[in-house]
Amino acid sequence: MKKYNILSLLGLLALFVFSCEIEEQFDPNGPSINSVLTNASKAELDLLVTGIEAGMRNGMAGYVTASGTIARELYIFDADPRNTEDLLGKGDLQLDNNTFYITGPFNSRYQVVKNVNILLEALDNTDSVSEAEKQGYRAFGNTIKAYMLSQVLDMLGTNGIRLDVSDPENLGPFLSQDASYDAILDLLDGANSALSGAEFPFFLSEGFRGFNTPQTFSQFNRAIAARVATHAARYDRALSYVNASFLNLDGDLSEGVEHIFGTVAGDLLNPLYKQEGQSGDQLVVHPRIIANATPGDERLDKFRLRVQDTGQDGLNGAYETALYATATSPIDIIRNEELVLIYAEANINLGNLEEGERALNIIRNAADIGDYSGPVTQEALIDEMLYQRCYSLWGEGHRMWDLRRYGRLNANFLPIDRAGDDVFTQFPIPLSEGV
Amino acid sequence: MHSLPRRLFGSLIFAIALPCLLHAQYSVSGTVKDTDGEPLIGVSVLVVGTTTGTVTDFDGNFTVNVPDDRNALRLSYTGFVPQTVEVSRGMAPVDITLDEDVANLEQVVVTGLASTIKRSNLANAVSVVSGEELTGVTSQQTVDGALYGKLTGVNIVQTSGAPGGGYAVRLRGVSSLSGNNQPLFIVDGVYISNVELPSGSRNASGANSASEESASNRIADLNPDDIESIEVLKGASAAAIYGTRANAGVVIITTKKGVAGETKVSFNQDLGFNTIIKKVGRRTFTADQVEQEFGGTTPDQIAAGKAARAAFEAAQARGEIFDYEDIIYGEKGFISDSRLRVSGGSDRTNFFVSGSYRDEDGIIKGTGYERFTARLNLTHQINDRLKIQSNTNFVRSSASRSFSGNENEGGLSYGYTLAFTRDYVNLFPDEDGNYPDNPNFSGNPLQTRDQTRNEEDINRVLQGINVNYRLLQQDNQTLNLVLNGGLDFILSKTFVYVPENFQSQRGRQNGFLAEGKNDLFNYNYSAIAVHDYYTDSGINFTTQAGITYINQSADQLLTQSTQLIPLQTNLGQGAAQEIDQTLLNVEEFGYVVQEEVNLYDRVILTGGLRFDKSSLNGDPNKFFTFPRASVAVNLNEFDFWNTSGPIDQFKLRAAYGVTGNSASFGRLFTSLTNNNIGGRGGFTVDGQQGNSTLEPETSSEMEFGTDLGLFDNKVSLTATYYIRDVKDLLYDRSLPTSSGFSNEIRNDLDLRNRGFEFQLGLNPVREDNFYYRTTLNFWFNRSEITRLGVPDGSEGEDIPSFVPPGVAFGLGLGTFYINEGSPITGLWENVDGVPTQTGDTEPDFQFGWNNNFTLFQNLDINFLFHWREGSELLNLTRLLTNLGNTTPREYDDLTGFIEDGSYFRLREAGINYRIPLNSDVIRGLKVGISGRNIFTITDYSSYDPETSVKGGSGLSTNIEVAPFPSSRQFYLHLGFDF
Repeated sequence: MKKYNILSLLGLLALFVFSCEIEEQFDPNGPSINSVLTNASKAELDLLVTGIEAGMRNGMAGYVTASGTIARELYIFDADPRNTEDLLGKGDLQLDNNTFYITGPFNSRYQVVKNVNILLEALDNTDSVSEAEKQGYRAFGNTIKAYMLSQVLDMLGTNGIRLDVSDPENLGPFLSQDASYDAILDLLDGANSALSGAEFPFFLSEGFRGFNTPQTFSQFNRAIAARVATHAARYDRALSYVNASFLNLDGDLSEGVEHIFGTVAGDLLNPLYKQEGQSGDQLVVHPRIIANATPGDERLDKFRLRVQDTGQDGLNGAYETALYATATSPIDIIRNEELVLIYAEANINLGNLEEGERALNIIRNAADIGDYSGPVTQEALIDEMLYQRCYSLWGEGHRMWDLRRYGRLNANFLPIDRAGDDVFTQFPIPLSEGV
Repeated sequence: MHSLPRRLFGSLIFAIALPCLLHAQYSVSGTVKDTDGEPLIGVSVLVVGTTTGTVTDFDGNFTVNVPDDRNALRLSYTGFVPQTVEVSRGMAPVDITLDEDVANLEQVVVTGLASTIKRSNLANAVSVVSGEELTGVTSQQTVDGALYGKLTGVNIVQTSGAPGGGYAVRLRGVSSLSGNNQPLFIVDGVYISNVELPSGSRNASGANSASEESASNRIADLNPDDIESIEVLKGASAAAIYGTRANAGVVIITTKKGVAGETKVSFNQDLGFNTIIKKVGRRTFTADQVEQEFGGTTPDQIAAGKAARAAFEAAQARGEIFDYEDIIYGEKGFISDSRLRVSGGSDRTNFFVSGSYRDEDGIIKGTGYERFTARLNLTHQINDRLKIQSNTNFVRSSASRSFSGNENEGGLSYGYTLAFTRDYVNLFPDEDGNYPDNPNFSGNPLQTRDQTRNEEDINRVLQGINVNYRLLQQDNQTLNLVLNGGLDFILSKTFVYVPENFQSQRGRQNGFLAEGKNDLFNYNYSAIAVHDYYTDSGINFTTQAGITYINQSADQLLTQSTQLIPLQTNLGQGAAQEIDQTLLNVEEFGYVVQEEVNLYDRVILTGGLRFDKSSLNGDPNKFFTFPRASVAVNLNEFDFWNTSGPIDQFKLRAAYGVTGNSASFGRLFTSLTNNNIGGRGGFTVDGQQGNSTLEPETSSEMEFGTDLGLFDNKVSLTATYYIRDVKDLLYDRSLPTSSGFSNEIRNDLDLRNRGFEFQLGLNPVREDNFYYRTTLNFWFNRSEITRLGVPDGSEGEDIPSFVPPGVAFGLGLGTFYINEGSPITGLWENVDGVPTQTGDTEPDFQFGWNNNFTLFQNLDINFLFHWREGSELLNLTRLLTNLGNTTPREYDDLTGFIEDGSYFRLREAGINYRIPLNSDVIRGLKVGISGRNIFTITDYSSYDPETSVKGGSGLSTNIEVAPFPSSRQFYLHLGFDF
């Protein structure tokens, strides 16, 4: 009896047990990474190029403002206390390895590196473009990759960088600082050689206007190499790089390559632009910058007297940033003004003091403060060169590295605003790297 | 007067008894009454050893035909202890008195997808909260919020105190890291959505993620007053039959049904108000303190100090020292909740109709919540074999939640703006209505309050259909086919507006407008066959088998417009538009089999298997198996038991079960996202590495317990110990970000939760004029990460300890940290550069104490205390007020931001008086007053220790950043029964 009923039960169930096959899934919300790694079309390669250029802007503000805070160029007055606490070493605080000021720039730099690596892998697995065109894509990619890695190295200092990151499962080791500089310069040199005979079938934004052919892009590549060599204090190489760049001692100092911004969907606003008079989200000029300024220096128009000079966290400043006029103003990646300063720095360090002085005077006269009148010694000219760099490149992410390579990133050279504050010289490797 | 229904009842009895007429049988009649002598209507009368039976009529009378070979009737009725009565041929009508079931032993609890078991035979500690317990004391805003303190093994945090809710319910500890830590909610067979629908306000406020937008979770849409009972299957051993949806437990909600008989109409009106649960206070200043604390030693700082002093003194002279906390959070928000219920039915058709309207203002001007619900529950017996039931619920709700929680430079979240706003600065608008800039932050909170909008509107339909077809009915067996279908359709609109002249907007977005349209459609069905079989000796076998299917889809469209034309709130009236679309589609299919054996109510054995496949798994057509097994032994039912002793019930039980949870949608894929520069689009990796081979995480639970009833069940005691092993936990691990990805999803983490739950029910006095019942709930949970990567000492890839992405704000301030051998709920921070556990969000224990008094039959006094001991919080609100120098001076000596969040709270209290009436029109009239969160004793320095800034998912609890403060509520109740 029981058996019969179990059979009828099963028979009944069979009615409902139809074949419910669930289909293979695909992502309805975006293209898959695998779709571009093999047989990428030219359109896909171009999308990657644009993605690389656009992605460079992410995390850039952190690189500039975190290093600028440590170098006592500026204060970040916003809602995050770690900008006025950790970065200035308030009390016993140290730089943290799991906090946005390092993880933000680090992650975003390496995200661009990843995009470049995807582009490189896609190029190896497609026939949709010619070999010369592939060389063009590769040279572009590797130049940007080197530029991104150089910014990571700036922040991490002697911690070095991880160079080989193409396989997420098997990341290469962190190299020493010296080896990291070697690697970045090699990458730039390699890309530069590849540019001869290469073609650029892709479009770069207006920010690369004048630098968007293999020949002119090479000048940008050399300019970045000159900056990296300078950071490495390899001044002979810096000089040869800068000479091969778009350095123009007689030309427009503002000539150069930029990040551009826009209000279009997916685009970004200039993250370093701060509204005039805005209080809770402001970059405030460190008082020492104002105190040390030369009267009449035209570069002082980068600073604007604040409407409300209220402070935060025991810090005060009467001036705020006026570097950018609007939220869509471009940010320079590198411009002739810096190249002239690199030219001066290299020459001074190589003992060509007069050539160095000549270059510094170009900067001084452009700022309307007349020729240099101090002693023409290497030491004095280094002081002068650093002073000019301070005002020419204020708020653009240079000061911390400038002071560091001359041993001045410490309390002997920088003011301590609050008792117990510290001057840090580099950022820790992010915790997630697991080293 | 009752003749027609009686005749109908008679024919029903006839219909039920019809199959038995063929056998030799005799007739027994009788009357069933309660201890007060009132007749009981609808008592089920069953001939023991058969499926034959009847129900009592309006006068408590019954007549039933008994086969010759049977000699006992079993009478059972909800809320009463069942009784077995010996009968014999030719006996006189029997008078039977049923005793009230004070220990709830006869309560029926769902154990399979289509079967129930009475509580005394249950092998799990399933908590049941009745509608009366849920809403009887005070007026409830949302169902989930109403549960806390009323059952064991649960931890509830409030993700937002804004009207309209925002709760996260966690049962027996953390069961998942990848998102779904919230139990599955099933309402009358409909798998309902409990999503938080983001509004895009993060794009104006700068919050880090959608989870920081403090949206309501959509359980808020249910009208608590519609609920008949809530069953909470807390762990895998009870919930295994729900398979891959049940890892975080299952909450089964049953709504009220009509009962045959006279039509009942009741109308309830609550009037009340919201007020802030606690004001943290503001820092007080003298002129000297202003100069000192806002000044310093350098020339700039000295000048700033002097300027601040001058401003302070000038404001003081004008009498303009404001208390902005009071100005923003000090509103008394009016609450009105009206509910109408009509129910009744005939012998074939029962109905329940309800409508409710709740209108609630928050403690911040302009915030509020409105909810309109309508429900029709209809049951119709087509014939004696076929019953159909339909439950339809329509909800329309809207909430204005303004801005709270974490943000970055948006100047919108009140907690942030207040932290930086100085009380001597006048932020009120001038006579032309222009709001001054806040000199110390990027937004003026008064302008946020008066001119911004953050709203959500919901239209929702829940529909459940249940068909029960009796395929076979014989003397000793029945076969039922239970078909169940449900759909949940949500059409939601979100709206965020920040005007172009708002401080943080000027020069950047120049006004922000976002409108979201979310279209969510979920449906599920199941077909289960249930076979009941009684052996001649009275052993009962219940066999069930069937299929289940779930389909979820969502289309979430968010359009935002910036660079707005002044004063325009139309998406087209802006210079820059952006559209985001998120699509989702999930399908799941499963088979279920379960066998239950009941040996004379002495030993109850259950075994079951569920096989599930899901499109969320790497292989969508691979079945995963989820077994269960349990045994309950009622020692008091055995012959050797001395029934005259003090112990009325003594049950030992053990249960084992496995549940699963698939990864959330999209995690199988590594996708590229788009960006843009100069008007040209590009691809970029988005930081998240998918995994196309994911399998569900599983939770296997072993539960042991005992249930005791003593002294006529005046004392009842339930104790349960569980060990719950979550295996192959799906988790996001922070990758070395040099890989270009910030996180990947992995499957190699094991977690153990162990806990103890204890419930003591006392009903010492049951006099007419003094009735007292109290329930004490005590529970705790402990977790430990037992495996990360490979087990210690074995070969393979071991995973270093890591900070899970997106749960907090880094080790610099304090965060959760995944470390083998440590609890998963620990709060860690860098101490001298070494990650160190400095707190634990898991309470040491929790304790709920519920008291019900009835005095002179008509006066009900109820109160519920809740004590949570030893649960630490990360209070980052104080980090902000420290920075803005607005922390009250009494907290100056607090160091660090991890604080003890222990509290003792009078969660609910109410006094109700049922006015005795002798009226033909009004049958009942009730008046009462009540309150919720009436007082709290805690050392916690901020608003409320039940808080979470990261919404309801994942690990997120006990992280406080500028929350919408919780509120206290007080009510006046009026109730009419017609």
